[in-house]
Amino acid sequence: MLKGTLDMMILRTLVSGDAHGHTIAKIIERTSEDVLEVEQGSLYPALHRLEDRGWVSSYWGASENNRKAKFYRLTAAGRKQLVRETNRWRQMIRAIGLVMGEEAVADGGAQ
Amino acid sequence: MSWRRFFRRSRKDAELQEEIRSYLEEEAAENMAGGMSADEARRQARIKLGNPQLVRETLWRQNTIGFVESAWRDVKHAGRTLLRTPGFTATVLVTLALGIGANLAVFQLLNSVILAKLPVVRPEELVVVDAAKTPFDQSWTVSYAAYERLRASIAKSVPLAARTGFEEAILQLSHGDPQKARYEFVSENYFGVLGVQPAAGRLFVQADAAENRSEWPAVVRYDFAQDHFSTVQQALGMHIHLNGVPVVIIGVTDRRFEDMLTGYAPDFWLPLEAETARLGMGFDSLGPGHGIDLDRSWLNQPGIFWLTLVARIPAGQRQSVAAWVNQAFRADRELMAEAIVDPAAKAAALRASVAMIPADRGLGGFRRQSSQPLFLLMALSASIFLVGCLNLANLQLARLSARAHELGIRMALGASRWRLIGQVLAEDAILMLLGGGAAFLVGRTASSVLVHWASSRGSLLNINLRPNLNIAALGVGLMVVAMLAFSVLPAMYFIRASLAGTAGSRAKVLGLSQIGLQRWRANTILAAQVSLSLVLTVMSACFAATLVHWEKVDVGMDREHILSVYVDMRRTGYITQHHDWTGLYRQIRQRVEAVPGVRAAAVEMCPMPNCGWNTALYVFGRGGLSNAQVHGEEDHVGPGFFTTMGIPLLQGRDFSETDTDTAKRVAIVSRSYARQLFGGESPIGRWVGYEPAPNDHQFLIVGEVADAQLDGPQRDAPPAVYMSINQHPFPIHTIEVRVTGDPAQIADRIRATIQQIDASLPITEIIPLTVELNDGLGPQKLLARLASVYAGLTLLLVGIGFYGVMSFRTSRRKSEFGIRLALGASRRQIRMLILKQTANILLTGIVPGLLLSVLAVHLARPMIVGSSSGHWAAVAGGTVVLTLAGLIATIIPSLRAALADPLEILRSE
Repeated sequence: MLKGTLDMMILRTLVSGDAHGHTIAKIIERTSEDVLEVEQGSLYPALHRLEDRGWVSSYWGASENNRKAKFYRLTAAGRKQLVRETNRWRQMIRAIGLVMGEEAVADGGAQ
Repeated sequence: MSWRRFFRRSRKDAELQEEIRSYLEEEAAENMAGGMSADEARRQARIKLGNPQLVRETLWRQNTIGFVESAWRDVKHAGRTLLRTPGFTATVLVTLALGIGANLAVFQLLNSVILAKLPVVRPEELVVVDAAKTPFDQSWTVSYAAYERLRASIAKSVPLAARTGFEEAILQLSHGDPQKARYEFVSENYFGVLGVQPAAGRLFVQADAAENRSEWPAVVRYDFAQDHFSTVQQALGMHIHLNGVPVVIIGVTDRRFEDMLTGYAPDFWLPLEAETARLGMGFDSLGPGHGIDLDRSWLNQPGIFWLTLVARIPAGQRQSVAAWVNQAFRADRELMAEAIVDPAAKAAALRASVAMIPADRGLGGFRRQSSQPLFLLMALSASIFLVGCLNLANLQLARLSARAHELGIRMALGASRWRLIGQVLAEDAILMLLGGGAAFLVGRTASSVLVHWASSRGSLLNINLRPNLNIAALGVGLMVVAMLAFSVLPAMYFIRASLAGTAGSRAKVLGLSQIGLQRWRANTILAAQVSLSLVLTVMSACFAATLVHWEKVDVGMDREHILSVYVDMRRTGYITQHHDWTGLYRQIRQRVEAVPGVRAAAVEMCPMPNCGWNTALYVFGRGGLSNAQVHGEEDHVGPGFFTTMGIPLLQGRDFSETDTDTAKRVAIVSRSYARQLFGGESPIGRWVGYEPAPNDHQFLIVGEVADAQLDGPQRDAPPAVYMSINQHPFPIHTIEVRVTGDPAQIADRIRATIQQIDASLPITEIIPLTVELNDGLGPQKLLARLASVYAGLTLLLVGIGFYGVMSFRTSRRKSEFGIRLALGASRRQIRMLILKQTANILLTGIVPGLLLSVLAVHLARPMIVGSSSGHWAAVAGGTVVLTLAGLIATIIPSLRAALADPLEILRSE
């Protein structure tokens, strides 16, 4: 996974609703058709980092299997950050695409 | 990176564990739903998660601030290390607390007395207007009339106020016993001119100056109000009596205001107009023959001088205002000159001009008197601090050497150099903070002790002991210096010099040259301590000798055997009840002399010392005497006074009971007054008077007595004239009693006897004359006591220094001693080896110390009396004491070395 993209993807995942760590990892993996595998060793530190910066907030709740789990919610600041990061990401993709030639674009994002 | 996160690390960690558990359960449940067995599902979930410990550690690191973490660990480690070496820790703490505390205490006094400006609005504008010297006291005071006139005619832009000195009164609150309190008269605009604000109530206004009130308004000092009325608000409206005069409290001054006279703050301020015979004040006057009546109001007597003028004048305008006051004051100057006969002195008095004395730092003799002693004490305090720092530096070097092994291993294991220094500094910073805190406490306590030492008996000096910025700055500054001397420099030196590859045995760590250098360094530090300590010891001996000298020196009176009975007839109103003074005094003398143990008794009008009754005598048939010749001090005494005081009668006769107000008036003069008035001729049978011809034959001189130091041991014996109190019947202040044996024993019997004569006669106290005479020795007492405390401390420090350094050395040279012993050296030789080192250091320290001492004694000569042989004795004594201290401190380590078992030592190597 590209450096710095995990945070962005976590934020993106939370747009569709609050989720706990396990769900977030699952969503990222499934949406990427199992190309991206989220390491737990970086997921939790990343979640705590995002919370510390005020982009997500957290609360304890019951999971769909009725287990105690920590849920994360996107905050207003987090939403803005997501927009910023998405824009930056698009620019980056385009820039890399230009350098690599048009046909390489499709592969570029998924390395 | 946020601090919040740093301090919530533990909670975050717990939360994370919970989260991980919940993740594992979710994953396992999902796996089971996919058809795995329960065990397999959990196993797969774990595999997927990886190492949970790693996750925790990553988050922990993410939440950690590097240097804080290591600093905190340093502090914890340092605390443990310090607790492991309680002896070292205690020595450092005590040294810092005393070394810095002593400086803070002395500086507190120096700051309050010498450096601080008055806590008023723009103090630099305040001046005392010295208009003219009064004829007898030379006291720069003016009459009420002169003040009123000056104030009325002076430009509105020049605020002018008047104040008096202070006097002690008997204060009667609405409840409780009577007590003493100081009061001062001020003009109603005084506080306004100074810019003092009330803390409660109001200060004086014009209406307070109305004469002939039944109850006078008074303003109270803040601290006094708090001490006596619990809060300043409660003081307001209180009705009290001062010397029986009814007074009501209308206001309390600002907390910091202690008036202008340094050291002596009045408790009460009263309007000038409240002056009465009962509430008196120090004064000078034109003298007899000018219609002065002290019992009448002073407000309309231009011949009584009792006010000091205070004005607020910016520096630029002072000259023009002075010229103007000069003009306005001409009439008063001429009036004052009437009392001067000597034409040269008269002309000088008329020519004199106004002086503006800056008053921004307060007024008075106490400030002047104490500046030299205080600066000297500051220097002594600085040197004790220096000795302390040197001691700590030496201790620290020894300690670091002892820890070289530990530090070396830690360095070999990868600790960075700065990490190690940080470790050492953390320990020292803890010590410094604790020691510094203790120093502030010591300073606070010690400064009030110093004030007690410097104060007169029964009346504490008012010196501001509140903490302030200057004190704090000095404290922190000294802590920084101490930290440098005792921690930073030794640590830097140590790390640089001796940590290169030191994991091996201690013997191999240091090269010979390094050991030599280290030893040289320790010796130099010790020798410097010895020098400073010698200076302090010698100084303290000189100051102690000075104090003893003043306390014991012959003052021309038998002061050891005289009891002074102070009676207070005026303030208690006793004078209004009693009028047969002659009869009363005769009875007192007869009855008191009949008390067993009493040799003689006599009454005296002027309380000794510092009665301050300056007078002038003119000789019949001998005009043209200069001012200096006619002036002297006067006292009115009863028969038997000279026998009582032990003042020898040189020629002629004493007063007798027949010298009454109907007989011809007689006087007795002291030898120096006789010399002044008559040159070498005999004074007996000559006529003198208070005024020049034609009134210069009022008194016949019947006797001449020896000079006596009536104003205390430090002042020269004044030329004195004594009159018979029976010829001028008047209330007395003192009954002097000469006793055999210890005066304190007999006081109660004398008190009982006097009360039998008249139970209403108010005795204020009975104390030995020598106590009263020595009361003015405050600065000397302060110097002697503090210097001896310092000398003791430095001796202790030097002792600790020698003990520490020698113990360290002997323990390091143990194996060497073992080999020496094995090769046949005697234990005595080993002992001598160590004692010789101490002797060498002592010698290196004492030689420069002697030079410094001689210099210090020379510089402090104004404050030291005694012969030069006495000083040499002090120097010699100090040397001996110091040598003994050094040698005694070395004996224990040397014995330990000599008792070493060579076999054991050699085996252990």
